[in-house]
Amino acid sequence: MSRSEYEVKQRLQSYSRRMFLQRAGLLGGMIALGGGSYLYNPRRTWAADPIKVGIATDLTGPISWGGIPNANVAKMVIDDMNASGGLLGRPLQMVLEDTATNEALAVTKVRKLVTQDKVDVVLGGITSSMRNAIKDTIVNRGKTLYIYPQLYEGKECTPYLFCTGPTPAQQCDTLIPWLIRNGGKKFYLPSADYVWPHVLNEYARKTILKNGGEVVGEEYFPVDHNEYSATVNKIMSNKVNVVFNTTIPPGVAAFFKQLYEAGFTKNGGRLSCVYYDENALNITPAHEIEGLASCLDYFKAVNDPGGNKIQQEYNKLYPGNNPFTAGSASTGMYRGLRLWEAAVKEAKSVKREDVAKALDHAKIADGPGGGCEMVPGTRHVKMNMYTAVAKSGKYEIVEKSKGPVMPGECG
Amino acid sequence: MSAVPFIFDVLAYGAIFVLVVLGLGVIASMMGIFNFAHGEFVLLGAYTVYLLEQRGVPVWIGMLAAPVAVAIVGLLLERTVIRRFYAAPVAAMLGTYAIGLALREGVRGLLGGQFYSVAAPLVGSFGVGDVLVSKWRTAVILITVVVMVASWLLLTHTKFGLQVRASLENPALARASGISTDKVYAATFAFGAALAGLAGGLMVPIYSLSADMGVPFLIKSFLAVMLGGAGGFEGAMAGAAFVGGSSAALPWFIKPVVADVVVFVIAIAIVKVRPQGLLSRWRT
Repeated sequence: MSRSEYEVKQRLQSYSRRMFLQRAGLLGGMIALGGGSYLYNPRRTWAADPIKVGIATDLTGPISWGGIPNANVAKMVIDDMNASGGLLGRPLQMVLEDTATNEALAVTKVRKLVTQDKVDVVLGGITSSMRNAIKDTIVNRGKTLYIYPQLYEGKECTPYLFCTGPTPAQQCDTLIPWLIRNGGKKFYLPSADYVWPHVLNEYARKTILKNGGEVVGEEYFPVDHNEYSATVNKIMSNKVNVVFNTTIPPGVAAFFKQLYEAGFTKNGGRLSCVYYDENALNITPAHEIEGLASCLDYFKAVNDPGGNKIQQEYNKLYPGNNPFTAGSASTGMYRGLRLWEAAVKEAKSVKREDVAKALDHAKIADGPGGGCEMVPGTRHVKMNMYTAVAKSGKYEIVEKSKGPVMPGECG
Repeated sequence: MSAVPFIFDVLAYGAIFVLVVLGLGVIASMMGIFNFAHGEFVLLGAYTVYLLEQRGVPVWIGMLAAPVAVAIVGLLLERTVIRRFYAAPVAAMLGTYAIGLALREGVRGLLGGQFYSVAAPLVGSFGVGDVLVSKWRTAVILITVVVMVASWLLLTHTKFGLQVRASLENPALARASGISTDKVYAATFAFGAALAGLAGGLMVPIYSLSADMGVPFLIKSFLAVMLGGAGGFEGAMAGAAFVGGSSAALPWFIKPVVADVVVFVIAIAIVKVRPQGLLSRWRT
């Protein structure tokens, strides 16, 4: 073999080796990422560039109960938009990032969404700490629109950040008067020690007092607390009528069990917990939370045509243990995408300024629990609210709000 | 303040801690390995009960199956991974932490991140005076006492226990005397894992199943082992009773958020005053 032939062969060999390494690296990366954006390219080929929708949510880690159905709903809605012709004659591309219930990691992930993928809008985040961690990267430095889908404590008034889940006003205004009528006047507020319960309780306390009730105790526990008998004893000995609970899973299971075993509900006490949706019914055996009252923007039991259609479609696509519920931010995600769609259609543009202007008063005629609309100037949504009571492991709707309830934020 | 619920609560929570720390204490005191995957062994025990219950098996059979299932997992892990760490306790902590993370996220994936309840074999409560006391928690207190005594007898009064202690004190001499230290370590680790599995099985009706159910217990369990002195099995039990009991008792008098910190402060103060338990009989 001549020298030059040898060199060529060497180069070819090393080239193919490098190709192999590159491909192996790519494949490894794809497997490691576990189904990132590359899986969600629109199947059809389109002439125009796609509009990119960034979804940043917790597919893994402790909040994955919310992140998994959130990603499912987003995919379902975006596929549906593509099937009906896309937006402005352009296809939509969903770019999904797993924020892994880790705020530090999430900032890197959303930075990738806004700088590398150059998405036109970001939806996601479940916890308030997640929203607070990623909002600056998206809205201020990334100059991108951000839609936050989960029920939360309110007070989020950052420009270009739209909230599509219920606020304390929406969850308390109809529920608390109902609790006083159907439980009693003495309230106890056991809570997990983080921002949502603290701020929600402030509003709840105000509403309780306004309606003639009294707060016997308000108590905060470490978020992973799982021993509540001191509190249960205080609740029993003070003859509390309503336990307005904001302790969170997994500890809430032990708390409700101890409360049940001490005879709270048997003695006519009323449990209440405003994040309780259909998923939460699995946390404790049905008899332990018999009569628990919750107030959300949607329950399966509402049995509205819009909600039923979404349920049916969702369950066909994603059977398994992550159903479409309000507490997992699924309804907020649906609403967020549909309101954004309406805004883009009206603005005839995906530019942030144009979309934000249209989104400020966007409305949809139908959705889970009925239609809804943005309250201009607040970046929050007014929506129907439903009070439901758990009976033998199912919810029964006991009260519907008289029309959409105002969010009462940023006004 | 009424005395009955207070005393019962301290006993019940203390018992749960003892149950969780038993397995951890056995492995830490007999083998010098701090098993950071212990919380996930507890989780696996709970998951076993849940899986069997889903298939129509009575809960109490699930609770008997849980230690067996987790012992098998523990044995496999010991044979493949843990035994490589005996010479390096710090690496063992990181290694077992990684194993725990993998187990926890694996179970989370299987559960879709959700929470599931498991019905207790004994539902409801009985009256003591005018106070209602949980039947299942009472059963857990009794079972804990039995398991604790049985484990103690096994480790102090049987041939197996003698071999375990011999392997700990002087591995070279134990091997020279015909004891297969390799097998003894494997068996001890599997035994510790089985105790964790049992704890998980008994706990799951109280705390419900979720991927993170073992996490809140892990750090306090280490505190208990440190407090009791890692050298002795009885010390770990005393430490567990203290940590569990005080975690339950303090919220009766001070804010729960403060109580959590105070437990650690008291424990650290005790370790400072009585450090002799700590590290004294560890194999290096």
